[in-house]
Amino acid sequence: MCKYRLVVGALLISAGLWVCVPAQAQSFRVQCPDKTALHPGAKTDKGSIKCQHIAGSDGFATMADGNQIYLFGFAPLSGLEDIQGGLPGTELASTFNKPYSGPIVADLSSATHPAGGNVNAAIREPAMLMNMGVLAANAPAPLIAIDEDDELYLTLSNVGMIMRPDLFEQHTVHFHGYPNASSYFDGVPDASVAINIAGSFTYYYTAPDAGTYFWHCHITPPEHLQMGMVGQLFVRPRQNQVPKNTSLRDALVNTYKHSDGTTYDPCVADVLCSSPIPPAQLSPVKQPAAGAKYAYNDGDGSTQYDVEYPLQMMGFDPNFHFVGMTFNPEAFADMKDKYFLLNGRSYPDTVTAGVIATAASDGVSRPAQPLPAAIIIDKTHGQKRALLRISDLSVTEFSTLATVGVPMKVIGFHARMLRDEAGNNMFYDTNSITIGGGESIDVILDVSDPAYTAGQTFFLYSTNLDHLSNDAENFGGMMTEIRIL
Amino acid sequence: MKHPNFCVHTAALGAAVAAICAAAPAWTAVPGIVGANGPQTAAFLLDAAEGYSSQPDGASVYSWGYGCASAPTGYAPAAMTAISCGTMQIPGPTLIVNENDVVTVTLINNLPVAAGPTSILFPGFDVSTTVAGTQTGTAGVLTREAPSSSCDPTTHVGCNTVTYTFTAKGPGTYAYYSGTQGDLQVEMGLYGAVIVLPNATDASISSCKRGPFSLAAAAYKHPQSCYDREYLFELAEMQSSIHDEALAQKQACEGAIAANPTATCPLISAKTEPYHPNYFLVNGRSMPDDMDASFAPMYPQQPYNGNPHMHPNELVLIREIGQGRIQHPLHIHGNHARVLARDGNLLLAANDKLSPLAGGVPRLAGPLIFTFPSVSGQAVDAIFTWTGKGLNWDVYGHTAAANIPCVPDANGYYTSMAGAPNYGEYCADHNKTIPITPPDPQIVANGLWYGGTPYLGLSESAALGFPSTPLPPGTAKQNQSAGYAYMWHSHDEREITTNDVFPGGMMMMLVIDPPSAPIDEAK
Ligand SMILES: [Cu+2]
Repeated sequence: MCKYRLVVGALLISAGLWVCVPAQAQSFRVQCPDKTALHPGAKTDKGSIKCQHIAGSDGFATMADGNQIYLFGFAPLSGLEDIQGGLPGTELASTFNKPYSGPIVADLSSATHPAGGNVNAAIREPAMLMNMGVLAANAPAPLIAIDEDDELYLTLSNVGMIMRPDLFEQHTVHFHGYPNASSYFDGVPDASVAINIAGSFTYYYTAPDAGTYFWHCHITPPEHLQMGMVGQLFVRPRQNQVPKNTSLRDALVNTYKHSDGTTYDPCVADVLCSSPIPPAQLSPVKQPAAGAKYAYNDGDGSTQYDVEYPLQMMGFDPNFHFVGMTFNPEAFADMKDKYFLLNGRSYPDTVTAGVIATAASDGVSRPAQPLPAAIIIDKTHGQKRALLRISDLSVTEFSTLATVGVPMKVIGFHARMLRDEAGNNMFYDTNSITIGGGESIDVILDVSDPAYTAGQTFFLYSTNLDHLSNDAENFGGMMTEIRIL
Repeated sequence: MKHPNFCVHTAALGAAVAAICAAAPAWTAVPGIVGANGPQTAAFLLDAAEGYSSQPDGASVYSWGYGCASAPTGYAPAAMTAISCGTMQIPGPTLIVNENDVVTVTLINNLPVAAGPTSILFPGFDVSTTVAGTQTGTAGVLTREAPSSSCDPTTHVGCNTVTYTFTAKGPGTYAYYSGTQGDLQVEMGLYGAVIVLPNATDASISSCKRGPFSLAAAAYKHPQSCYDREYLFELAEMQSSIHDEALAQKQACEGAIAANPTATCPLISAKTEPYHPNYFLVNGRSMPDDMDASFAPMYPQQPYNGNPHMHPNELVLIREIGQGRIQHPLHIHGNHARVLARDGNLLLAANDKLSPLAGGVPRLAGPLIFTFPSVSGQAVDAIFTWTGKGLNWDVYGHTAAANIPCVPDANGYYTSMAGAPNYGEYCADHNKTIPITPPDPQIVANGLWYGGTPYLGLSESAALGFPSTPLPPGTAKQNQSAGYAYMWHSHDEREITTNDVFPGGMMMMLVIDPPSAPIDEAK
């Protein structure tokens, strides 16, 4: 007996020359070094080694009208505790490399998981990896976040799609917007390699310039994206690490230094300069406190925020997902989304706290939708500015998101600060933004005006009014609440 | 069935299409026609005519397009010799003129009678339809039109015309398209581009060097608009049922006239709503046809391709136009691009008194984008580049033992040795090994554009200690130089299909060839 394998693809297969090789053991391999040349573990290290493990898998999610929907998706195999807390599953190598001691499949349906232990560590033992990866797809895919100067080792293990044993599907990771990408780690199967079932591929990235990116599988994109293989990814700026009372502008200027110590204008030599130097300030803006947070290396504090919310716009066509669970080919031209989602949920599920679990076909309940989309600004405890990291991975249409009550300040577009090369901010205030699939935008909601008080609730919703529905329900859709506490 | 790459699909579609998998590489600049017939003037004699577009599913779609009614004054760029202009093409001929030229376009209506009148809009220009004090054409809603007539399609005897005159005031990329019953005529293919070249002697760009296949050294009178290569992508979509309906009504009309020469027939009235396009086009072609050469004989009425190539560190000017009626988010893998201008309007920083640029011209203000949010009727010019900076590993697979030089210039790149195989390398990453162990080649599927190693320009991996990789046949043909390939595609992913079949539609592959591989855009 032997297993067929897609070895050389394409012409051979079409010519009927299947290559038959002995069935071999799995080849899962998770890579996450404790030390690298860039991060030898010295005191002078800038940034850290971060690792994340994900499975290419399938699973089920629950839509706001109660219907279950079948997914092709990515399942978390590291940072399980963080992901269930709405946080990134990206871990320090030291955490990632501990032995995993979190829940196993048998625990998932029970409310009482074994407490403590290394729940955020990577699951790497092959049998465990299969058990925890299969049917465990998340919508959206596990959140990834890194800081500038980090190195990211992102391992994708393909556990197969158990509901579709007829498929040999590979999966990949496309880090959407990665600058100067190598095609090897770009995830386009046509331009690189794609991992087969029972194998792992470790993608390597240095943290690119700060911004709101996103990620997705790039196999048969109209299918795998529609089926749910989409997730969020952002990079925090170096400016967050500037010491207290240091001028932000000086810190930025100092990053543009030749080896002889002279500084230069980043935009003269590089037309893609991401952080132009702002005009000199009469009284320099200084880092107010350790732990201050910015969307970009602005040099003037203008992208500061107190709390951030990644929001991914997306749609599901239930007919396509139903066909996707059967053994039939799906149609693309008539694809029509009927569920309009923020973070894999539509209203009112968008404001449901915590995970939403769905019992999969094996009866095991899994936390398939871990990320709420409620925008909560705790003004009572000093929060004033919320950063919305909005990305769009709809595969069918452009959409508009609008706010009532709190205007939006658009500060970034496509993972880049809105600033001209002369350093002038080109932010703008608006009540709506319109983006299509493959775009991202950064918006700040500022409730510092005394007119905003605790207890108020406002809305962020699609003004494509047909998107305020959950399939047949004329209610819900792409909407969430902005709550001031 | 689902497939990770193209040949499976194309082979399944049939031998004719499968041939693409073995076709020689082909790439092209921005070919077009010039009309210079004296200083500061340009004249074009175009027609609107019927024909068929060829799609990769084997469909031959009835269409209308603009074309050259007679041989144009000339062609550009000069380095392209296999260049022509048919009487009907989609998109229409790219009109290449110089800044401040007085441009005259005479349009002959050579469409079937049932199509009715037609016209051209030149948004962004102040257009006159008067010649020697006399109005040309007949009144239409948006502009003067050339009425239909049953004229001789070859000699144009008896055909009606209209003449448009405008001054090409500013450099840039502009759309032109039918101003008559646009929901039908633009859908049928009546659109094209105007490119206005800046005055090359302007002090701001006089030091820019024109690439051998470029129309100019710079897109605008701005030093940051200098470029090494340029590509024009006209994005559009088609709903083939509209075309089928137009063809049926046209044939019915011709049948009626054949039976009774004095018969009149109604104007074509096709159902253009609700709109469900099933073809998604780059320069009138779908993937993989768009990767074939410009002017390839297989596509007599879709002469322009979409097959961008570049070398590391080169500046590539992307001229993008939304020619359809819906938006298409064109995602460019590989890097961001800096928007220079929209509809020929250069986006500049306001009050840039400290500009370090030559002549003190203000610095750029256009956004950095990784997706062109293409808008109907809008042209966007942007500069793209790729250097490999910041990867933290040597993209050429150099090792210290190999002792290959990389001497950084002031910006960190190896630019001191023209012709070096690693010209432009980012030297800080030189000799750094790739930080991961690649997967066993036995457990991966190789793409058709995959060079066989993680490295740029290396198709042999054994020497570097990697297991040699069995590549699919045809790979070397798609990407002979083992360049880095990047998909440039609509991120409304259902649009990377051709009439319901993936892959296809609005998709191209950018190939970044290693410095040692020449890029001959004339082919
Ligand atoms: Cu996938």
